Amino acid sequence: MASRMTRIRGLIWLLPALVLLGVFVYYPIVENVRLSFYSWNAFSPKPVFVGFDNYATAASDPIFWRSLRNNIAYAVVSLVFQVGCSLCLAAVLEEFVHQRLRGILRVIYFIPAVISITVAGILFSFIYNPQFGLLNRLLGAVGLEQWQHSWLGERSTAIWSIIGMSQWQSIGYTAVLFVVAIQRIPRELYEAARVDGAGAVRQFFSVTIPMVREMTTLLIILTVAGAFLVFNEVMVMTAGGPSDSSQVLGTWLYRNAFLADDMGYASAIATVIFVLTFGFAILQIMIGRRRRVEM
Amino acid sequence: MTSSTTSPMAVAPNRATRADGWIGRTVVQVLIGIGLLALVLAVVYPLLWMVFSSFKNNSELFANPWSLPGEMRWGNFERAWNAGVVRFFVNSTLVTAGSIVTTTLISAWAAYGLVRVKVPFSNAITGILLGGLMVAPTVALVPLFGLLQRLHIYDSLWALLVLYTAFRIPFTTFLIRAYLIDMPREMDEAAYVDGATRTQIFWRLVLPVCRPILVSAALLQALFAWNEFAFALVFISDSDRKTLPVGLMDMQSRLLTEWPVQFAGLTMAALPMIVLFLIGQRQFLRGLTEGMGK
Amino acid sequence: MSTRSRITALIAVSAAGALAACGAPGTAAKTTASANLTSSAATKSGTLTIVTKFADPKYAPYFEKVAADYESANSGVKVDLQQVGDQPYKDKIRVLSASKQLPDIYFSWAGDFANKFVRAGLAADLTSVMGPDTEWGKSFSPAALKAFEYDGKSYGVPINLDAKYMAYNTAIFSKVGVAKPANLEDLIAACGKFKSAGYTPIAFGNQYGWPAIHYITQLNAMDVPQATRDADYNPATGAFTDAGYAAALDQFKQISEACFDSGSNGLSHETAQANFLAGKAAMHFLESVEFSVLTAKGGAPAELADNWDFFRLPPTASAAGDKGALTGAPDGFMVNSGSKNAALAVDFLKFMTSKANGAEMTKSIGWLSSVQGTATAENSFPQLEAALKDISSANSFAIWLDTVTNADVANAYLSGVQGILDGSQSPADVMKSVQDAAAKAKKSVS
Repeated sequence: MASRMTRIRGLIWLLPALVLLGVFVYYPIVENVRLSFYSWNAFSPKPVFVGFDNYATAASDPIFWRSLRNNIAYAVVSLVFQVGCSLCLAAVLEEFVHQRLRGILRVIYFIPAVISITVAGILFSFIYNPQFGLLNRLLGAVGLEQWQHSWLGERSTAIWSIIGMSQWQSIGYTAVLFVVAIQRIPRELYEAARVDGAGAVRQFFSVTIPMVREMTTLLIILTVAGAFLVFNEVMVMTAGGPSDSSQVLGTWLYRNAFLADDMGYASAIATVIFVLTFGFAILQIMIGRRRRVEM
Repeated sequence: MTSSTTSPMAVAPNRATRADGWIGRTVVQVLIGIGLLALVLAVVYPLLWMVFSSFKNNSELFANPWSLPGEMRWGNFERAWNAGVVRFFVNSTLVTAGSIVTTTLISAWAAYGLVRVKVPFSNAITGILLGGLMVAPTVALVPLFGLLQRLHIYDSLWALLVLYTAFRIPFTTFLIRAYLIDMPREMDEAAYVDGATRTQIFWRLVLPVCRPILVSAALLQALFAWNEFAFALVFISDSDRKTLPVGLMDMQSRLLTEWPVQFAGLTMAALPMIVLFLIGQRQFLRGLTEGMGK
Repeated sequence: MSTRSRITALIAVSAAGALAACGAPGTAAKTTASANLTSSAATKSGTLTIVTKFADPKYAPYFEKVAADYESANSGVKVDLQQVGDQPYKDKIRVLSASKQLPDIYFSWAGDFANKFVRAGLAADLTSVMGPDTEWGKSFSPAALKAFEYDGKSYGVPINLDAKYMAYNTAIFSKVGVAKPANLEDLIAACGKFKSAGYTPIAFGNQYGWPAIHYITQLNAMDVPQATRDADYNPATGAFTDAGYAAALDQFKQISEACFDSGSNGLSHETAQANFLAGKAAMHFLESVEFSVLTAKGGAPAELADNWDFFRLPPTASAAGDKGALTGAPDGFMVNSGSKNAALAVDFLKFMTSKANGAEMTKSIGWLSSVQGTATAENSFPQLEAALKDISSANSFAIWLDTVTNADVANAYLSGVQGILDGSQSPADVMKSVQDAAAKAKKSVS
């Protein structure tokens, strides 16, 4: 019915999207790889070709590996809370809570997700303040002074404090999405399970979890991708400190480009981030395809 | 978090119940209740603290962090206002609103082209879109530098508009595409037979039917654009054009020890969003999930 | 097929469009050294863009006033003044440089920080208008002028004098029975006494790393001979092998253990200062430009405002460097060599550093101006006058370690010293990373 000409003309519909993608998304990837083979910065008169030097620097740079570990930690914790705990929370809300209360709780839990990440970051940097912050005061009030820390000022606690803030902000968000997914599960499945003698926990594992697989997969992709792209929270709360203990790949890239006068190295880091996120996404999609998941 | 139930005897209040084990039932319900309440406190208290602290002064803040403020120092809010919070808010709103329109529209066109208009190379194009999904904004920082200058949009809100659109097109297109695939073709075909052009079908038929997913897309775009930080940090220089995230951080480094004024700034930045959300929460949550739930 | 070729053409056009926007990275324009810097009175018009790091509400008004005054004195001129915070300035100026968007006038710290603008051809050579023989040049204190010289030429206009001192609460000192320490060992012993009396010996917050660096600057100056330091701070010849550097880090470690509260990496400098103001700490290491905060006019409580004095961080008895060196450097402004308003920029800076405005600076924000003869009894306070005297008598100046050295070395120090503070790194570890950074810097400058 549609002639060949009509179909070609149909490409018009895709033109804006493709042009924007090509210029602003794909061009930077390619350019990044190219730039990563040079050494240059804001003040260098001429970029110097250095081959794989920047990548060698990355491989031997302890802070690069530290950043990578921090991103992985971010991903793991986020999966546990924003996918695992969140699903449990959603299940509890659906099973054990009255209709009206459920609505109210959903709204309350979702609120942190609507305030800007920066607001949450700055707010939590105040909460973590060792002198007047909520957390230390709370610990003191219940007699746990020995647990008081300079949360954002100590190497051992800085990145975990940031990760904690991130969970606070996002648990409600993912829980709401899971609630929707759970609501679509046909009640008959639960009835059948109950008839077979399954208690609430068994039902959770044998009915709920398998039936929300699509949402789970989607949220896993989003959560892990998000964990590798973290920038805002860390920048606002610690800027990567103290002594680079809370650097993540994104902030380390920024630091090298704009504070250490080494843009070539920053491009190399960026290329690594791209390869990691791209690789993970491909992996997820391949696994997903095997499970017949639709994007 | 105490949301995992451990007692096998637990049963929901509005479902068929088991006759025995009512003590276990109550204990679990109480535990769950406490857990949920604790979560509510964990969510709400920091925000309340933020609001209360914005009315205090420095010494009150250090001395009694828990208490209600002694007096309502609206001056703090005035200082925050003067530090530019409103301007940042306006800039963010402009860019967010603009990018919602452009992203949703361009993605809808693309999805329509892929699904309804049988364009050639549709597989390749889908692949290109998919690839775009996996590019991190931070990756693009350094190369985009030079590019934005050459296009003469560096340090303008247009730069952000263009970038926020380009980077969200893949996700939004897939979102709309998934929805569109499930839509019956007969509707289109009928209109086509009646003589309607592709364009007319798009605007009069497809777009209205896709409203739920478009609303979802718009809301997700809003959340992204509102929070976007890296591009706003690097590509906007003039403080008059800063968006909220960057402006707040700027303010923080300027109002170093004036904690209450910073709290006031945070409150002014967060409150509108919370209020908007509370007002429209049913539509918001429905819009967010209706499309995505598919 | 023709359709396929049409598609290919489409893609090719888009790609070509994108590629046309390509180009080599970061090619900076070479200096047009012949920027015309002298303007005749009749041609003062245009818009001047200025970016400073003085967004702090305590200091910002002074600059806004100078800009406004200049505008009203020259009706054809508009001054576009942008002020950001101290820390954000560090990356903003690099972003501006990389994007060739440097304003006409921009702030710079002294040392290699300024020199890299010069090396990249981004700073105008101002020797013809402010060299030591010119009238304008002679109005400055010689040390201030020298701080912004490179290769014998002047590139930056100093606007103030600044040095780092240990302020102390005289009331607490006499209460605990401690005298002004004559050397570092005495200082550390005194810290022990303050701790037992329940005071924080030295209020210290190191959130962005530079407060600790200022200690190291002073210790390096006192432990390492000048000639060695000069060679090491120059990125082309930096090696950092002298034993004095490690000794300086060791001394800092001792100071931190005896005198600082734990968790200093998480506290901001300003929060620590608040503690000192509140009378909870006996001492606080700060810059003379911050002295006004300790006065009643600056908002300090009377118990402190009436009872404070200062001394230099004392050397150890066996220091091998320059015991009379003083940590400090002027703040300055540089003119963009590519600016189309260079002459106007110079004129504005002359206006800012006139005797009248210099005196106004001392009066309104308590800074010592780089212009000689501007601090008097009327516009300053006793401690500030004493500081001026002390600055004028210093043997030599040690510029802040994080701006005098190349960025890599500075970052190695910043990060390393934070590690010393929380015990995760030893002085030997830090020196190793500094030496590595110096080697890297040497390569990139050559």
